[in-house]
Amino acid sequence: MSDLISIKGGRDGLRLRLDASAAWPDLLSWLDQHLSERRGFFHGASLVIDLGEREVSPAQLDEILTLMRQHGVQATAVDSSERVTRAAARSAGLAARPLPRYTGSVAAGEPEALLVIRTLRSGQVLRHTGHITLIGDVNPGAEIIAGGSVVVWGRLRGMVHAGALGDSNAIICALELTPTQLRIADLIARAPERNEVRRPEFARVVAGEIVVDGWEAFKR
Amino acid sequence: MGRVITVTSGKGGVGKTTTTANLGTALAMRGARVAVVDADIGLRNLDVVMGLENRIVYDLVDVVEGRARLRQALIKDKRLPELCLLPAAQTRDKDAVNAQQMIDLTNQLRAEFDYVLIDSPAGIEAGFRNAIAGADEVIIVTTPEVSAVRDADRIVGLVEAAEKGPASLVINRIKPRLVSRGEMLSVEDVLELLAISLLGIVPEDETIVIATNRGEAAVYDPSSLAGRAYINIAQRLAGEDVPVMAIPDQQGMLDRLLGLFGRRRT
Repeated sequence: MSDLISIKGGRDGLRLRLDASAAWPDLLSWLDQHLSERRGFFHGASLVIDLGEREVSPAQLDEILTLMRQHGVQATAVDSSERVTRAAARSAGLAARPLPRYTGSVAAGEPEALLVIRTLRSGQVLRHTGHITLIGDVNPGAEIIAGGSVVVWGRLRGMVHAGALGDSNAIICALELTPTQLRIADLIARAPERNEVRRPEFARVVAGEIVVDGWEAFKR
Repeated sequence: MGRVITVTSGKGGVGKTTTTANLGTALAMRGARVAVVDADIGLRNLDVVMGLENRIVYDLVDVVEGRARLRQALIKDKRLPELCLLPAAQTRDKDAVNAQQMIDLTNQLRAEFDYVLIDSPAGIEAGFRNAIAGADEVIIVTTPEVSAVRDADRIVGLVEAAEKGPASLVINRIKPRLVSRGEMLSVEDVLELLAISLLGIVPEDETIVIATNRGEAAVYDPSSLAGRAYINIAQRLAGEDVPVMAIPDQQGMLDRLLGLFGRRRT
């Protein structure tokens, strides 16, 4: 990942942070590449843009919003320490939030794991750059999209995409693994038509294919 | 102060309007003051089902836009003086009202009635959002079909997100014979997925079709199984400690399931 751009997940969703000193055209082309390489993760996402101490004109902001829209990504708010940038955000119809000036670099650390306790229902999407643990069911029509692995302490009947930022070592496990579809990195597997297995299972990538096994087979 | 309860479903054609009309009538038969509100603006139905279409002078949009007072627009039921209908506008669409206007309207109704039942349009758009805007409680109607249950699940999520939950569930049009042959989702299957409290179940019953076409609620007909089911649901809604009605002429799996869920109160 370029250190000009970082995207991190947190409690309140995804946050796109753009280096405040890099040249604007470079930043745009990096972002374009970043989003297109990780389409599986970002398509349909909404995020907060953190522009830091950069002064961004309405025209520049429009460029970045257009680029994001082309990748199916929506902005929900703009964070900036600069008044000019916040004014541009407001005129684009986005929430603008003030930010203290930074000292550190933009580089992203290890993403945090996320624990969520609830039933994920049809139409709901849980998206996080790190690992996700859900205590509850994933109903048909619901989606979990994670940069890392996904643990479902419940019935998994919806769609899960683990390693959505490209990590094919990610695994998916559930107490009852009967998904409509599983994805790991850029691989897709449809659940086989089979009798209901009511035991914990996990899915991983073996030799370029998604393989599901009983939990007893898990060894690392 | 009355309770404002919205009846909704996501999928169309599962029996929202029938449920609203029958629950409203059953509650009024118990002596409660009930207003039923048709929030399906542009696709007016509730008045037809209740046989009150020819009495409409003003509608919900007239009240919201100030052309009529609430009392002028409310239509008294043919039989029950405690039951009133606020009809939808037929010549307008969902954009004719907004959420705040619905909240104001329900607050007015709440002051004068024990129960305000709102018949929601299908879907998850503005019409649905308006219908739940003023609600204290939400009843979700589904049929035991995969598509209807999927939509109900979506609605449960939206109701929770709107902080109107937890919703309670009515499963409509159950065919016991199909369930016992394993060819239809059972009450248990539906509850396992939706994980919300069961308010009641209604069997598939052709007396509903007959009653609807006559513009009379099925709850008036003592021979109607569905009518009796709606009376049972009204009792449970009113807080009576009665189990979910079993479907009498059907032995076997369904009854066992009902025995299991009958004790679960809402």
